[in-house]
Amino acid sequence: MEDLQNMEENQKSPMSKGEKVLLVFGALVVLLLFYITLDANKYRAEVRVIEGAGAVGVNPTTELLDFGDLSRGTSAVRRVSIENETGIRMWIGVVRLGSITDLLRLDKNYFVLQGHTNERIEFTVYMPASGEVGTMYSGRVFVFRIPIGW
Amino acid sequence: MLEALIWVVVFGLIVWGLPRALAVWLETPYPMASVTSSSMWPALKRGDLILIEGVSKEELAVGDIVVWKNAEGFTIHRVVTLNQKTLVTKGDGNFEDDEPVRYEDVVGRSFGIRGKPARVAYLGFVTITLSKYSISKPDIIFSR
Repeated sequence: MEDLQNMEENQKSPMSKGEKVLLVFGALVVLLLFYITLDANKYRAEVRVIEGAGAVGVNPTTELLDFGDLSRGTSAVRRVSIENETGIRMWIGVVRLGSITDLLRLDKNYFVLQGHTNERIEFTVYMPASGEVGTMYSGRVFVFRIPIGW
Repeated sequence: MLEALIWVVVFGLIVWGLPRALAVWLETPYPMASVTSSSMWPALKRGDLILIEGVSKEELAVGDIVVWKNAEGFTIHRVVTLNQKTLVTKGDGNFEDDEPVRYEDVVGRSFGIRGKPARVAYLGFVTITLSKYSISKPDIIFSR
């Protein structure tokens, strides 16, 4: 009878203080990651390799990082402006994914943007001699902004 | 505590012993190399860690990816021409050939599996990052 009572008590026992702290901390981390991911600017990036020397075809769109058509040995530049309208300093980090990653160069990455300032990131794609004609290299670019305080 | 100590010893042995074991197996004093540029894209990408095997002049062939010593360090490029006393290499992504390289300066050839270079993506960034923070030797200034 006493054993049964002990078992019931064990089953009903609430979490310890340490476990609660850990749970709240974990939930905050998940929420923060969720917010950072949602808040990130996401762009589709693409470039097509074309035959010829010095040939460049531009697609003037602001919706995506479209570097157009490039022949081998040519390059194209796209710029993204980041404006921090808040008074909070932001840590900026750019992550590239996909087959375009190795062709895409940035003039700056992983930096702190002060409050009420703006910064421009320059994305350059250079098509090397080994670029395969007719191939479309594409990927995704994420610009993360993480608030780091005043 | 003892368990942690054993893990530290095992990890240390791997870090210390692996390059030495590879050097013996691949017959070269430089068995591993990090790719620091995109000149060999897409065969090799920046940040790749590749294995290097020792190679003699007779074993070299056009199309091999070789590592050679130069004033700036090491270069990993593909062989395009084999001459009597020198060989010429070129990065796949480059438009021009490199200057001829003496056979004595060739450190080795990239170790391949089924005709493709064996590479571990991103692991080379460890070396690239660490090399940025290496402590330089002090300059010695002689004065009279």
